Amino acid sequence: MLARDSLLFDEQQGAPFAPDLHDARHLWLKAVLLLVWALVSFGTSFFARDLQFQVGHWPLSYWIASQGAVLAFLLIACVYCLAMNRFEREDEASGASGQEPPSHG
Amino acid sequence: MGKPRSYVGQINRILALYVAGVLCFVGLMAWAEQQGLSRQWIGPIFLFLTVMVYAAIGVYGRTSVPDEYYVAGRRIPPIYNGMAAAGDWMSAASFISLSGALYLQGFSGTPGESGGLAYLLGWTGGFVLVAMLVAPHLRAMNLYTVPDFFQVRFGGRWPRIIAALSAVLCSFTYVVAQIYGVGLIASRLTGVQFEIGIMLGLGGVLLCSFLGGMRAITWTQVAQYVVMLLAFLIPVSWLAYKQLGNPAAPVVAGMQLEKIAQIEDRLLASASEREVVAGYLRRAHEYEARLRDVGGALERERHAARERIQLLRGQNADVGLIVSASRDLAAMPRDEDEARERWTREMHENYQRAHLLGGLPRHSQAFAGAPDGTAQERALFDNSRRNFLALMFCLMVGTAGLPHLLARYYTVPSVSGARSSVAWSLFFIALLYLSAPALAVLVKYEVMHNLVGSSFADLPNWMAQWAKVDASLLSIEDINRDGIVQFGEIHFGADLIVLATPEIGGLPYVISGLVAAGGLAAALSTADGLLLTISNALVRDLYFQETRRRASPEQRVILTKFTLLTVALSAAFVAALKPAEILPIVSASFSIAGSAFVPSMVLGIFWRGTTRQGVVAGMLSGLLLTVYYLLAHTQWAHDALPAVLLVQQPWLGIEPISAGVFGVPLGFAVTWLVSLITRPGRIERIAPDGL
Repeated sequence: MLARDSLLFDEQQGAPFAPDLHDARHLWLKAVLLLVWALVSFGTSFFARDLQFQVGHWPLSYWIASQGAVLAFLLIACVYCLAMNRFEREDEASGASGQEPPSHG
Repeated sequence: MGKPRSYVGQINRILALYVAGVLCFVGLMAWAEQQGLSRQWIGPIFLFLTVMVYAAIGVYGRTSVPDEYYVAGRRIPPIYNGMAAAGDWMSAASFISLSGALYLQGFSGTPGESGGLAYLLGWTGGFVLVAMLVAPHLRAMNLYTVPDFFQVRFGGRWPRIIAALSAVLCSFTYVVAQIYGVGLIASRLTGVQFEIGIMLGLGGVLLCSFLGGMRAITWTQVAQYVVMLLAFLIPVSWLAYKQLGNPAAPVVAGMQLEKIAQIEDRLLASASEREVVAGYLRRAHEYEARLRDVGGALERERHAARERIQLLRGQNADVGLIVSASRDLAAMPRDEDEARERWTREMHENYQRAHLLGGLPRHSQAFAGAPDGTAQERALFDNSRRNFLALMFCLMVGTAGLPHLLARYYTVPSVSGARSSVAWSLFFIALLYLSAPALAVLVKYEVMHNLVGSSFADLPNWMAQWAKVDASLLSIEDINRDGIVQFGEIHFGADLIVLATPEIGGLPYVISGLVAAGGLAAALSTADGLLLTISNALVRDLYFQETRRRASPEQRVILTKFTLLTVALSAAFVAALKPAEILPIVSASFSIAGSAFVPSMVLGIFWRGTTRQGVVAGMLSGLLLTVYYLLAHTQWAHDALPAVLLVQQPWLGIEPISAGVFGVPLGFAVTWLVSLITRPGRIERIAPDGL
């Protein structure tokens, strides 16, 4: 990684500090989770009027928007953490064979 | 993981002691209330003592070592950083206004003012974006502030300068809303004027953040989060237990939702509610008639008021009546312009309230209008749904762009810590957010079931006291003169509901004190983080980076504190003008943050082809479009700008608070296009293959 001390140098050269290349598995994970996120938030809200039937004491769309979606977001964030930690452990295990593990993500 | 486990264990113990201390204190106050401690004292004691605790933590954690000052030494355990981020995140808007908005707006708000659950979804869903797209990547770069990212990633000066200015703009807007909330609480609980309340609150804010730096603020925010959480959960659980015999409010609120739907049916069919609507309509027509000939009407009104005073004097009437009649005369608009403005507002207000259910939508109905009704109803439905989604989008994207929140994830020890810390933040936020809709439902049931139908003669005392703070917070008037409270006759402001919950539910006054302390904690914790962000952006990213001055850490810190004071004072000045309610101000700042930061940050992180020129163009265009759309609807813009530059019809029917829905895509598009144009040759030459 470029040291922060070379910042001045970079700036004078007009050279941006390009990010690491992203691991394809990380990008897939993000894409899938973002799709779930979009379905839970925008998808259910878009069809909220059609989901207004009663489940238990709650109209379904009201429950999703007030509680279900929040729980789903929490779940997505947790899945992301666990999956990324797992990827990093795998990288570390295979890192002995010379592959540099990306610290991003 | 530089620190051994005992460090976390030690913090755990301190936190447990602290929670026990807060609970003991509440218990002690409850006992004192039973023993006859006057209400006049309970509120101020709560406010004063909690602020003192935060200040003590602030003093204890003060620092001027740069690493500690900017990023708390990067060794806050992720779970505590999550807690601090939750405190930082949940502002006066979440604590004071969110439940109120859910009460007033139900699922999705009224036409012309969307909201409701969009706030809840937007403010939680945004964390998914923070977790995946932004926070860990920023943490990996070992930055100190958010504008730092633009410096490190793109080089040059303009990306950093624009980022710093945008950070100041959105944080300042946000902090105004916090100080307004503080003023509201202080003026209600201590009975002082609103402006003096603001000054008191400002003292609290400064006491906590003045000494500061990130380390002090982190632990203050953890302490404030605890107070906030208890202050929210205790009254909700109590209310749920009182109404349903089960304190798990989010679980049982569904039952009340059903009952509310039944009461709503009854109110929609009630004759006396219709009388109230007719009453408002009559008034609105009256104002409309006056507005046709403002000068003449004003003269007639003044004449009538003078006649009335003469008549009362002639009858030797009660002095009180004469005084109130003279006051009415004095309160008349001074000139035609003022009269036109005031009467137009009154006319709109009356028209708004001239609907069944006091103009509120049915609580659990998603969107206004009807998808398979008349053409007009269909248009209404589409518009309502579009605005709901747009607002949600702006709040989510804004979350991923707010500098004071992102800077919080700089303080954890590792990248993986940053990820888990975001998840913890969402957990701690959800603890409170899951109860917010439940609170709205329980309070609505309480009002519909107990307050409606009671007699005007024995209205509870708290109503008059709140009405005194500000008539826009609470007004109640016997429109149809039957002496009975109808639902349409009660008007609550969104900022009132939570603060008045204990009184609405008939809980002991000590709970009111606790809720006020919670609201204060929410406003203070956010204001702390915002002020630190603003002063860092001004001092570190603009002043010192620009001039490249060598200054000792002490000099820097002194300069930072001076800036902080100036910023806080100007925010208090703006807040004292009561520019708007809390929620619209906060939403505006989300739109600004989203359109200024998110496109350039996300593209900068995920696309190596993003260029400096692209980022500058993208940030400027997104930001300018958003600010323009926000301001183009205001009275101020109508006076200042020529008609050609004004927005005549809202674009796609989107309300101004969701301006980011145009700014964010424009930012992405411009950044991408300009980067493509300016790219050739540049990336190849540096080819950083070793990264």
